Amino acid sequence: MSHPQKGKVAAGGKGAAKAKKAAGGKKSENDREDTLQAVILADSFETRFNPFTLETPRCLLPLANTPLIEYTLEFLAMAGVADIFIYCGAHTSAVQSYILSSKWHPSTSAASPFNTLEIVKTTARSVGDALRDLDSRDLITGDFLLVHGDLVSNLPIDEALRNHRERRVKDKNAIMTMILRAGGLGEHRTKAKGITPVFVVDPGKNRCVHYEEMHPLQAHKYVDLDEELLKDHKNIEVRTDLIDCGIDICTPDVLALWAESFDYEVPRRHFLHGVLKDYELNGKTIHTEIVDDRYAARVFNLQSYDSVSKDVLGRWTYPLVPDSNLVAGQSYTFERGSLYKENDVMLARTCKAGKKTVLGKGTSVGAGTVVSNSIIGRDCQIGKNVTIKDAYIWDNVSIGDGSNVERAIIANEAVIGKSCKIQPGALISYKVDISDNTEIKPNQRITRAKRKRDEDSEIEEEEVSSDPSIVGSSGHGYEFRDAEEFSDDDEAAFHSSLIYSTQHLNLSSASISTLSSSISSADEPSGPRSRLSSFTSLSDDGDNEGFHHDAVQGLLDTLHEHGDFDSAKLEFMGLRLSNDATDHQIRRAIAVAFSKHISQLVDGEQKTEASKAAASAFATSGAVQFLKNVALSTGTEEDAVDFLRCLQKDAVNRGSGPLVLAALCQRLYEEEVVGEEAFLRWWEEAEGMGDDEDVEMKRVRGKTGVFVEWLREAESESESGSSEESSDDE
Amino acid sequence: MPSSQAGYAPNLGFYLKSLKAQPVESSIENLISLLKRRQITNSRPCAVATAHLLLQVVAKFRWTNVNKLIERIQDVGRRLIEAQPREMVVGNIVRRVLGMVRDEAKEDRNDDASDSASNSQMGSPHQEHSDQGTSHLGGPPPSFSPLRFSTTEDSDSTEANGDDVFGGKPQTASRPPLITSHTSYAPAGGLPPQKSMFQLLSANPSPASTPSGAQSPHNTSSLNATSLSHRITTSSKDLKAEVIEGIEEIVDELDQADDRIAAQSLEYIHSNEVILTHSSSKSVQKFLLEAAKKRKFTVIIAESYPNDHEATHKSVTRSISTDAEGADELSTPKFSKSLSDAGITVILMTDATIFAIMSRVNKVILATHAVIANGGLIAAAGARIIAKAARVHRTPVIVVSGVYKLSPQYPFEFESLIEYGDPGNIVRYQDGALVENLEVDNPVYDYVPPDLVDLYITNIGAHAPSYLYRIVADHYKAEDINFDKPELQ
Repeated sequence: MSHPQKGKVAAGGKGAAKAKKAAGGKKSENDREDTLQAVILADSFETRFNPFTLETPRCLLPLANTPLIEYTLEFLAMAGVADIFIYCGAHTSAVQSYILSSKWHPSTSAASPFNTLEIVKTTARSVGDALRDLDSRDLITGDFLLVHGDLVSNLPIDEALRNHRERRVKDKNAIMTMILRAGGLGEHRTKAKGITPVFVVDPGKNRCVHYEEMHPLQAHKYVDLDEELLKDHKNIEVRTDLIDCGIDICTPDVLALWAESFDYEVPRRHFLHGVLKDYELNGKTIHTEIVDDRYAARVFNLQSYDSVSKDVLGRWTYPLVPDSNLVAGQSYTFERGSLYKENDVMLARTCKAGKKTVLGKGTSVGAGTVVSNSIIGRDCQIGKNVTIKDAYIWDNVSIGDGSNVERAIIANEAVIGKSCKIQPGALISYKVDISDNTEIKPNQRITRAKRKRDEDSEIEEEEVSSDPSIVGSSGHGYEFRDAEEFSDDDEAAFHSSLIYSTQHLNLSSASISTLSSSISSADEPSGPRSRLSSFTSLSDDGDNEGFHHDAVQGLLDTLHEHGDFDSAKLEFMGLRLSNDATDHQIRRAIAVAFSKHISQLVDGEQKTEASKAAASAFATSGAVQFLKNVALSTGTEEDAVDFLRCLQKDAVNRGSGPLVLAALCQRLYEEEVVGEEAFLRWWEEAEGMGDDEDVEMKRVRGKTGVFVEWLREAESESESGSSEESSDDE
Repeated sequence: MPSSQAGYAPNLGFYLKSLKAQPVESSIENLISLLKRRQITNSRPCAVATAHLLLQVVAKFRWTNVNKLIERIQDVGRRLIEAQPREMVVGNIVRRVLGMVRDEAKEDRNDDASDSASNSQMGSPHQEHSDQGTSHLGGPPPSFSPLRFSTTEDSDSTEANGDDVFGGKPQTASRPPLITSHTSYAPAGGLPPQKSMFQLLSANPSPASTPSGAQSPHNTSSLNATSLSHRITTSSKDLKAEVIEGIEEIVDELDQADDRIAAQSLEYIHSNEVILTHSSSKSVQKFLLEAAKKRKFTVIIAESYPNDHEATHKSVTRSISTDAEGADELSTPKFSKSLSDAGITVILMTDATIFAIMSRVNKVILATHAVIANGGLIAAAGARIIAKAARVHRTPVIVVSGVYKLSPQYPFEFESLIEYGDPGNIVRYQDGALVENLEVDNPVYDYVPPDLVDLYITNIGAHAPSYLYRIVADHYKAEDINFDKPELQ
């Protein structure tokens, strides 16, 4: 996998250059400055580009007809990096074969500006794992650049490097410098939408003192600052205007820190947040280099794919623009109004190829067709009277006469029939075939990829049959849905759509999708968390998606296999500690796991009755104990109510939700996990909402009504009413 | 702009240093990448890089046939031009090298034809010369400093250089004095004597130059097979030396062009004149400085916002700029400093006021990026406004430009020559609303049509725009003009 080519090609020249630099007055620094190393994280460990990334790694997706990693490598070449390590996870072989056939690999191409380029395959499941792996390999000898494989930038980093080194000479604890691009206070298309990174910076020292991520659905719209910070720093800037392009200048200490903190997964909201929080402990400082000229941005989701594409066409990334023909074989020319055209493009006389448009080689555009603000790849066949607007069409696509494509992405070798209508936000993946006169609805994602079922690793891959209701009678493809665990987390809500809109999310307080979509934020600040009292705020509650996923998975496995809950509990508590999960998150995870398991049994082939299914779940050894000790660890009524609410919320998603909920409630009562007071209070709170209550939520708890009634009767015999602590309901 | 200070970002300086150590193929690719990434920009750095690269290409290429060499250079040239067609000097340098190779080859063929005749008759008298000359070739390749911006009188240095490397060659000595050494290969009046002298040389390879070091077959006039092959190798070796020497002359020309242009300044700048210039250019700077040695005058500098204004401002505020190596042509250190030190009154103003001030201006001096065969020029954006304003006020427009910027190409679509740069220079990227809603164009160059230019001052003299085609014909061979576009040939 690795291709060590130590200093073969450019060593002499670079060496000479370095010698000169050393003479330039930097002799004080030791020899580890001799070459600049860079680590590219070619795998994002995310699924934001699904369904495209099912078949292609993100770094090879074309941006303005050039694979993303080309931009990253150009940036590194511009910076004069000598040694490159490319970390790949999924699709390693695709990345490898691409790099080997590109101009970048020193062993296969004389054009490579790098001394060495090593492709490292990892089994890592997160950035953190990859960096810990890197640490264990001892490849890094000095300061290095850490970038993502989706970086587009034309920044000269010499100055940032120099500042970094100066700081480093003064203070060994200055371990990292982040390069951030100022994005202005107003709206900006390239700024991260949805999730806003908040950097708290001491402007005098360029030091980042706190980091947090916020999102619009968060109820808790505060940044919690340690008061120590205000004492220690005279000036503090809280900045939300920065475009985080993910360029970090790191010292090897950074890797050591990653290695120490085995639970960090993501560079920003885990690592950065964590290291800054632990400043008192480890004394490490992280600095910022805020630049306000030139360009730097990451293509980290579909919306940024859209905005960075526009930036490239608008030449903000100059010289990384199509007419620079960065990849061998490209022949783009620029025409006023940002029309980039390659050789051998066939345009019918009456077609209009408008502004901000890219047309790849061998593409033909039929008569009467209008193309505007779009990127069209190579060898595409565009029929007559087609309208293409704001669309991204990759290579070898054919679009039939009279079709209409707006704001969509159509991947390689897709076929769109005649008179089709592709609505905004549609994502049409590789080789999908849409038959004539079909309408693709907004935000629909269509793929032909074999579905991987890694959540229940029983079936490796399965071919999915086409869905004629979506792709038309003779089409090929089916609608892509995220794995269930992810369907209700933030990633889907914010990142998986081409068009960013909070509209469907705001609506959400009345719709299913948001109630169940609990949006994850950064690690919750350690400060007090409150306001869990109302249903709406519940859905807005912060959550840790990684924790949730892993926890639910673990519990489900135990339930499926009728395993031992004692070991599950150990694992679960480990997860909890490592993710710093709140009690509420724990309850939610447990609720989801149980209700999912039961509903699977109910909806599954055996068609088990809900009550039997619930009984079998509770019969798993230690399950009751687990629920009592973990889910309701404090034993208070509040917790029990919260747990019930989580159950209810989750049941909304289940086909047999009402039944499952009722069965579960009954079981919980019988096993004395949840007391009757809690049931009654939960019920009354729900009833108390009146018309404010969501229709679905109401529907779901319908079946439970009988049980509650029974409870009430039983209770009224002994006691009257239930005490209700009023909390600030809306 | 890549800074030449400590850092890893490659630039011209790094590139030139890396040339010798790297294999040729990576040097070529390296330059292509640098051109594409705009890490080498502007005419002079591009020209210097191209010339040095071709030097390596010729020096390290093993060929048996001149056509092979020409093909090789064409191939390299094509790739370089394709990488950055708007840096027209790259093509110019390639074409000049090609033309020179063709000239040398022609002379060589003539030698072959007259070889046996000239061999016995004229061989012995020049034995010692060729001994000297060729012994160098057997040794290590001639060393030269690519960045030698010689400050001495150029003719001296050229001759010194020639003496150094190819000591006592009659060819150098026999150069007609009217033609500068840089254009010696251009078909001019001095050709016949050169040719005959050259015959003497190449027809008499000395024993020292033969790799085997065996007998010298040329002492006899018999032409057996070994001697023939022997002669081919030696002649190609000589040819190689000639070509290398020719490229070195081009490099020297690049170094000295500004000085030669400056030397003519007193003829054009008179006392108490008001000169308007644009952005900051080394050629113009030297030109003005030379005149300032004798005369007092006023210079108005248009700042050339947004692409060069920082360089221009820097020069006005006298802040220390990067050192000359690797710095591009248009950002010149200590421009104003030396101008004001030299006793010139310097006024900086915005481009917008050009028309208002034009009535007071006596002469406009423009720097250029490239000159086209029709007499038009590609210059920093804003040049056309100045030229147009000058036309209205009947102010003479003088363009200073090295001959190396003169391109034989005549594009039909001038728009295609104009590069569009980073819109971030005009609109801050932070202004999200502007970025989202506007199309921001930032053309880096302007096309100035020939009728707006009154005079070109080059390193070989002053010419009217209508006369440039002659210079083109002198410097480039017709067959090389469109070598990169086979369909036009």
